[in-house]
Amino acid sequence: MADHAAAVRVEDVGAQTQADARAELLTDYEFRELYAEHARPLWAYLFRVTGNAADADDLLQEAFCRLLAAPIATRDSSQLRAYLFRTATNAATDLWRRGGRGTRRQEPVTEDAAVTASHGETVALKRDMARTFRELKPQERVLLWLAHVEGSGHGEIAGTLGLKPASVPVLLFRARRKLAALLRKKGYGPGER
Amino acid sequence: MLRHDCAQLPDIVEATVAGRALNAPLAAHLASCPSCREQVEAAAFVRRLADTPDAPHPLPDPAVIWWKAQLLRRWQAERSASAPIERMHWIELAAGLASLAAFLAWQWKTLASALAQVIPMSLASMTATPAPGHPLSSVLLIGGAASVAIMFLAALHRRLGGTSR
Repeated sequence: MADHAAAVRVEDVGAQTQADARAELLTDYEFRELYAEHARPLWAYLFRVTGNAADADDLLQEAFCRLLAAPIATRDSSQLRAYLFRTATNAATDLWRRGGRGTRRQEPVTEDAAVTASHGETVALKRDMARTFRELKPQERVLLWLAHVEGSGHGEIAGTLGLKPASVPVLLFRARRKLAALLRKKGYGPGER
Repeated sequence: MLRHDCAQLPDIVEATVAGRALNAPLAAHLASCPSCREQVEAAAFVRRLADTPDAPHPLPDPAVIWWKAQLLRRWQAERSASAPIERMHWIELAAGLASLAAFLAWQWKTLASALAQVIPMSLASMTATPAPGHPLSSVLLIGGAASVAIMFLAALHRRLGGTSR
């Protein structure tokens, strides 16, 4: 946990925001509100793309630390949310590039969830869903999650992943096609749950 | 053959993910286009996965994150404050080396002649009878060697000190 936090580079946020005269640090109260609103969805995203609760914890902390470490010009919740997702995605990408734990220490992500789920999906099916998703490449998981869960636009996804906006639809198409092939292979037909 | 240029695809995927019913033309296209059906199936799967409740995992304590961020800010301020000092270390080293080079250039002839006197003296002392050398040359040589050694050690100390910080 500490290794990610230690790797935080606060200059990034500082350089981005200190030029703005209106930039101010988040107060404790503002931070707690922001955390209550965005931490759970951000953690769910990180959990699904890393497949690992410990990495999701670390990356969540890193994203919020970066946000808090320097003055910011906006208090707009959606902009801050986009910033948090972008920062967390960059940190996750760094982790993958370093050959990080995300590829080695995958957890059986949905076993507990399956036990506590209120609707009628079976344990095995839920575990399979998460496992199938994890068979995609990290970038594909990020693309699909941002597009279909977060509802991010192509421009926003391109900014998050450092891609050209024009290439996002093509990559999304390929990621969906790959996922569909995996679903067919695993026996998930249309309409199956 | 799968196509990614179906004009209807973005609308179909968006509506499906949002849980909206497709209008008649889009529904007709979806029924006739296997590529779009496959795309919709994958998008709907991701949406279903997101809707699956996660294990009740406790999130990191926000108070700890707040505290870490304060610490990071302090480190950042410290680094900004010490940056000019770090730069000065390099300037010091460069100035020292430049002075040494200037001294050597300026006193080169004196040093060379002193060296020429001392070296035969050392060779002679190794063979048998010691011959007296010029006392000033010995002093210059010892002083020069000592100053070079001190500069080298100082530079090494600063370098190691800088990396360990």
